[in-house]
Amino acid sequence: MTTDVDVLIIGAGASGAAFAWSLADTRMRILCLEQGDWMNPADYPSTRRDWEVRMDREFSANPNIRRRPEDYPVNDSDSPISVLNFNGVGGSTILYAAHFPRPHPSDFRVRTLDGVADDWPIDYAGLEPFYALNDRQMGVAGLAGDPAYPPHEPPLPPVPLGLAGETMGRGFNALGWHWWPSDTAIATRDYEGRAACINLGPCKSGCAQGAKSSADITYWPLARRAGVQLRTRCRVREILVDDKDMATGVVYYDEHGVEHLQRAEVVVLACNGVGTPRLLLNSRSARFPDGLANRSGLVGKNLMIHPWGVVRGAFDAPLDSYRGPMSCSILSQQFYETDRSRGFVRGYNMQIIRGFGPVATARMGVARGDIPWGEGHHEAFARRYGRSINIGICCEDLPEECNTVTLDPTLSDSNGIPAPKITYRLSDNSERMLRHGLERGTEVMKAAGAWDVYSEGPVRQTGWHLLGTARMGEDPERSVVNGWGRSHDVKNLFIIDGSVFVTSAGVNPTPTIQAVALYVADAMKQRLANLFD
Amino acid sequence: MNTDRADIADSGRPLTSEERAALDIVLNMIVPPSADGRMPGAVEVGVPAYLCAEAPDALPVLCRELEELDRRARERFARAFAELEEHDRKSLIGEMRARESSFMSRLAAETLACYYQHDRVLEGLGIEARPPYPKGYQVVQGDLSLLEPVRARGKIYRDAP
Repeated sequence: MTTDVDVLIIGAGASGAAFAWSLADTRMRILCLEQGDWMNPADYPSTRRDWEVRMDREFSANPNIRRRPEDYPVNDSDSPISVLNFNGVGGSTILYAAHFPRPHPSDFRVRTLDGVADDWPIDYAGLEPFYALNDRQMGVAGLAGDPAYPPHEPPLPPVPLGLAGETMGRGFNALGWHWWPSDTAIATRDYEGRAACINLGPCKSGCAQGAKSSADITYWPLARRAGVQLRTRCRVREILVDDKDMATGVVYYDEHGVEHLQRAEVVVLACNGVGTPRLLLNSRSARFPDGLANRSGLVGKNLMIHPWGVVRGAFDAPLDSYRGPMSCSILSQQFYETDRSRGFVRGYNMQIIRGFGPVATARMGVARGDIPWGEGHHEAFARRYGRSINIGICCEDLPEECNTVTLDPTLSDSNGIPAPKITYRLSDNSERMLRHGLERGTEVMKAAGAWDVYSEGPVRQTGWHLLGTARMGEDPERSVVNGWGRSHDVKNLFIIDGSVFVTSAGVNPTPTIQAVALYVADAMKQRLANLFD
Repeated sequence: MNTDRADIADSGRPLTSEERAALDIVLNMIVPPSADGRMPGAVEVGVPAYLCAEAPDALPVLCRELEELDRRARERFARAFAELEEHDRKSLIGEMRARESSFMSRLAAETLACYYQHDRVLEGLGIEARPPYPKGYQVVQGDLSLLEPVRARGKIYRDAP
């Protein structure tokens, strides 16, 4: 038996870290259980010559490839998109690209404005102070004045455009389309004890410089200093409830596989849009035979994952495009807001991604036939290496109950806990949006001067954004948690990760996940006296 | 990164001299030396040893396919694969790519990984042979005045009630 705590957070990623830091000023006894471990930046691939190969293996974003003991498998055979994540202190921010755009105000009023899905119970204006707070705590770079957004001022100057960003900026200008240096969670100057970015390139395999704003080096040091306890290599099997429908604690396994009981007054789930429904569905009991907090039947439903397309362009001029934060440069939101004349509702973000290293350039070129075996190999490689630019098309997918996270009947993790199974398909709206994005991406690549353009989508290894599987709302029959993250069914159970998203917006979700976590923490602090009423 | 050339037999059954010669030919058919001598071929940078170290699970299929290559060469041309003319080699390797496309894609991917991490190759490309950290790279800041037309067009987001 371990010491009881006031608040138990499950998961030390983007949301758990922000929430823990915020709630620490209550001086409650706060404990976070994390199934992964601390990362050592000296071990990140960019410290070694074989960095490109290590990115694809032990630092792969796909847990089914990575297969570390702290990872759990995901059955993604019934989905065109694989689930990507990372398990460790900092969660998926360890491997995320740090592309950090906010959603638009309209993203929270989808039903009202576009007649589809549902409105959020909170709005952009209500979250704005928490976006701003999060920008400061994480260290976000960007350029104020973007006409695609209400005014906001990132605390750090933008990442360099590079020749690639300039080239694409000219392409967008030629078409009269929007573009802007993207908000980026990277310290472009020394910031809060962290050294400035030195353009290593492979941000998506961990930042050895510590310039990328992952939650392990931003929120967690502050939260721990304020008294939050963080226990690593602890994997929660289930959440326990009493006969009054109140959570009493959790059962977890430590790194040696020893089972523990941890009691808590409040349980907070921060395990992402797959891990959270998995844990709730694994927490069946007589009072919750279909999974904890699931009287609505919506736990695990409405999975949104952002269908992703890619457009690759090759240019004549050297662009040094393998240098600099790989996935952060500029974005375009020309096609973000709904315009029904396009044949779909909602929209997408275009994210300019720099080129790749030599191994990835060669492998992709050979796989596609752009770079031949044998004769002509060296010439074809030279025409692409450092001269390529990519556009990521991030499509907003709408919530659909047929897209689900369920428990796999046979697959389990190293502790024998049933693993998640993903069932996902693209809707007609998503298909049309993706096709439009690939066509517009091709158009702007050509306008920027590319001599060869290739596009594809949906791209399988892109399931970073795991959203919607325990949605928030005021109606207990149509949502899992209320407008400030509290379960409708279990009054001392909170969810603060991407599961609570009502709709997915068309942008990378981490700023919103963290803003919501800070918002929920603030709401709890304001209601401490009657938190469970 | 430099890897010494090692016999692939170290981690599997011994390759015959004909199979080893065939392997070298296959690897250099993926990445040959450049005509100007600036870029080495795949064998020269130690791909066989790399395969042993990094892709041991691929070795049984590799051995089987090399054996098959030699068998077909002898059956069709009455000579070892390594002794064939260039176009006959290409023809048999083309069959191998069609027959074992997944394995051959893997072989190419491993070969390219070894090749494009090697000091000689990176130097030939004009790239410093070092990890990105700790020196990092310089990146052109870029001309933010290019944003003027975007600013001039004004707000593009919708207000929400």
